[in-house]
Amino acid sequence: MTKALSLLISATTILLAGCEPGTEKVTPLSEGIIYCSEGNPDTFNPQLITSGTTVDATAAQLYDRLIDYDAEKQAFVPALAKRWEPLDNGTRYRFYLREDVKFHSTDYFSPTRDFNAEDVRFSFNRWLDETSLYHNVGGGSYPFFSATGLDKLIQKVIKVDEMTVDIVLNNADSSFLANLATDFAIILSAEYAQQLSVKDVPYLIDLKPIGTGPYRFESFRKDVLIRYTKHPEYWREGPGIEQLVYSITPNANKRMLKLVTGECDVIPYPLISELQALNRDDIVVTNEVSPNVSFWAFNTKKPPFDDPLVRQALSHAINRQAIIDTIYYGNAELARSILPPTSWAYDNQGIQYGYDPEKARKLLEEAGYEQLTINIWAMPVQRVYNPNARRMAELMQSDLAQVGVNARIVSYEWNTFRRRLSRGEHDTVLIGWYADNADPDNFFRPLLSCAAVATGGNRANWCHPGFDELLYEAISTTDAAERKALYQSAQHILNQQLPLLPIAHSRRYQAQKKTVRGVQLPPYGGINFRLATKVTPAEENAQ
Amino acid sequence: MIRYLSSRLFVFIIAFFLLTVFTFSLNFFFPGDALTNMTGVRTFSDYYPILSEARGTDKNIALQYINYMQHLLSGNWGASLSSGDYVFKQAYQHLFASLELIIGALVLAVLIGVPSGVLAATQFRGPIDKSVISLAMAGYSIPVFWLAQLLILFFAVKLDWLPITGQINPLYGIAPKSGAILLDIALSHSDYKAAAFQDALKHLILPVIILSIMPMMLLLRLMRNATQEMLQKPYVKAARARGLNEFQVLLKHAVPNATQSVLQQVPLIFSLLLSNSIVIESIFNWPGIGNWLVRAIFERDFPVIQACVLIIAFTILLFNLIVDLYRGWRFPIVRHE
Repeated sequence: MTKALSLLISATTILLAGCEPGTEKVTPLSEGIIYCSEGNPDTFNPQLITSGTTVDATAAQLYDRLIDYDAEKQAFVPALAKRWEPLDNGTRYRFYLREDVKFHSTDYFSPTRDFNAEDVRFSFNRWLDETSLYHNVGGGSYPFFSATGLDKLIQKVIKVDEMTVDIVLNNADSSFLANLATDFAIILSAEYAQQLSVKDVPYLIDLKPIGTGPYRFESFRKDVLIRYTKHPEYWREGPGIEQLVYSITPNANKRMLKLVTGECDVIPYPLISELQALNRDDIVVTNEVSPNVSFWAFNTKKPPFDDPLVRQALSHAINRQAIIDTIYYGNAELARSILPPTSWAYDNQGIQYGYDPEKARKLLEEAGYEQLTINIWAMPVQRVYNPNARRMAELMQSDLAQVGVNARIVSYEWNTFRRRLSRGEHDTVLIGWYADNADPDNFFRPLLSCAAVATGGNRANWCHPGFDELLYEAISTTDAAERKALYQSAQHILNQQLPLLPIAHSRRYQAQKKTVRGVQLPPYGGINFRLATKVTPAEENAQ
Repeated sequence: MIRYLSSRLFVFIIAFFLLTVFTFSLNFFFPGDALTNMTGVRTFSDYYPILSEARGTDKNIALQYINYMQHLLSGNWGASLSSGDYVFKQAYQHLFASLELIIGALVLAVLIGVPSGVLAATQFRGPIDKSVISLAMAGYSIPVFWLAQLLILFFAVKLDWLPITGQINPLYGIAPKSGAILLDIALSHSDYKAAAFQDALKHLILPVIILSIMPMMLLLRLMRNATQEMLQKPYVKAARARGLNEFQVLLKHAVPNATQSVLQQVPLIFSLLLSNSIVIESIFNWPGIGNWLVRAIFERDFPVIQACVLIIAFTILLFNLIVDLYRGWRFPIVRHE
């Protein structure tokens, strides 16, 4: 008994000694940032998937691209390519690569050489060339490159010399550079791939990633965390912290509580209805206008929506400002075009369909309808561009009732919803779009081109040859002024035809501790911790 | 004692056999391919035919069961369908994480519940007894998830004293080896062991307290009733008559004998702790077996679901056996019951 007692006493002493404040300096906490992400990444290679969670967790942290997009300057800037030039009338691009760029050195890979043309060739051929050894590793599907048609556009990638690469296109396409600057066009290490295939474990390339990015991979525990450490030999200005941890917290309310208790430094997507609780001295809530749009699309293949007059009448019947106040709590901008105002091709003379029930009634009469019964499909999930489609549909239902239109709300489980939508079973639908890059083409072609009718992306099933021609003319030229004029003409056709009514451009929210600096939210998606740093509360107060 | 021991072991082995038959048959009851459910290897994998041969899927069901047991006992539990990680390695880490919570809660429940029960018994029907019993009733009736929300709001959000999720601040970089965080800190080569230890203890406080409340209240009531019953026995009166004071009577006679009947209920308390830990672990994102099971159910991760069922049931069986053996050794009368 006495022996047990003495053991207990000594154990307690050790415990208490550990609890004594100030015995050791707590540096790991001041040199690391915890980002409470909303889910697990599907993979550590953003080439393979378009999910926002995966892109946030991997793209800008682990990898670099040939070129970056500077949202402030609205221009492409050098990254792994220090400069580039279009050749052969824009059908060939030559990239001059940066020297002295190191790949990550980890406990599972030690690079013997710096980044060079071989890595670019390997990274592009992985998704371009179906005969490439790595093409089918990880499933063989590269959704971003297929959706943007980049895999069809690029003919081949040629290594000119160690530090020069040519990308040959099948035809000139001005959206090419914008697609290269996205989070998906990352550069992998060819040397690492070679080593893995020799060891017969090629699949590890996507699970234990190697890149040139500001952070290197340490560990991943599903549902718990991802741990990254700083890349000490990063080629440009890197992070001011040693560690970046993604603490996986799917519940939005818990994310908010963890930010308040200091267990998270940065959180994405706080609930707009709970923002009031984050109104504290030590927390900053930031929001960015992100390139998204929510809209109400009319199925133009079905009567009476094939008549532009009916579409105009219905558009005049909707009080969009009330929707923004009620659904977005005022945290969105009224959309005047499907392009957000931040786009360089934005036309401020866009859609002017103000709330005017009287005019709506007249237009309906003119079209020959006094009473009309329609259905509104409301998507069942929450998206950045539309936090509550069902509620939005209810508001619209009451607006429409005032002009004699009886609207029925329809909703299905998300996968069924999209499948039936692609088959064109709807009358009208409330849905939206989040752009993958800064190019205006990304709003037009996937949503409104005739080709998109066939792939199911064109929710209005609207095919207008004149409009289509303008879009293809716009991507065939690199002259920005000319492109802008073409897009404005395209928008003019949209205003007349109105296959869809843009509703709102919503803001993307993020909350963080005041002590965290340099976390960037690029406007075309993703999150970037490259310049992230943390100041102590004392330093913060001194500023 | 040997006869008692062998009869208990026999019961344990039969129960274990039935348990493995049950988990083995789950492979066939779950939707999809039985071998995939068992191993996590999908039918299109190159490895599938090799595994199919190793597990004897073309043989009769008894041989398949024997193969299953061989793999089970050698720690070859297959891979998770959602993460691809080996289930066995994951399983023991999750189990140790849960045990850390459960043992902490059990110790706390005993340390507070038992003395309070004895105190209430000595003040039978007095004001102290009545207030302790009312408190016990209230504590036992509050749903665990509700209590957790209240304490989180008060201690974590309002007072900012305690963290609300996980085992430790992840920036300490403690790699999971055993799964029990205090042990992992001791095993790590961290330069900040003392600070990490302090941080881990702070993470333990809320889940341990909340998990301990129900068993604590149950123990309190059991101990109070048993002690009160003992205090009425003639031998206690005799002890008093011999001149022993009330404290000596309690410590030497009433409490040890009361413990015997309370001990019989301890496996029940342990099961209560294990089932409540599923709720607590989900609320506090504690990487234990309960949290793992809940996620596996959502993700239809059959190899993991089976592993969790097996571990939870086996832990309860083993704990029952240990308590039975201890009672048999400590209280000879039990062997003759």
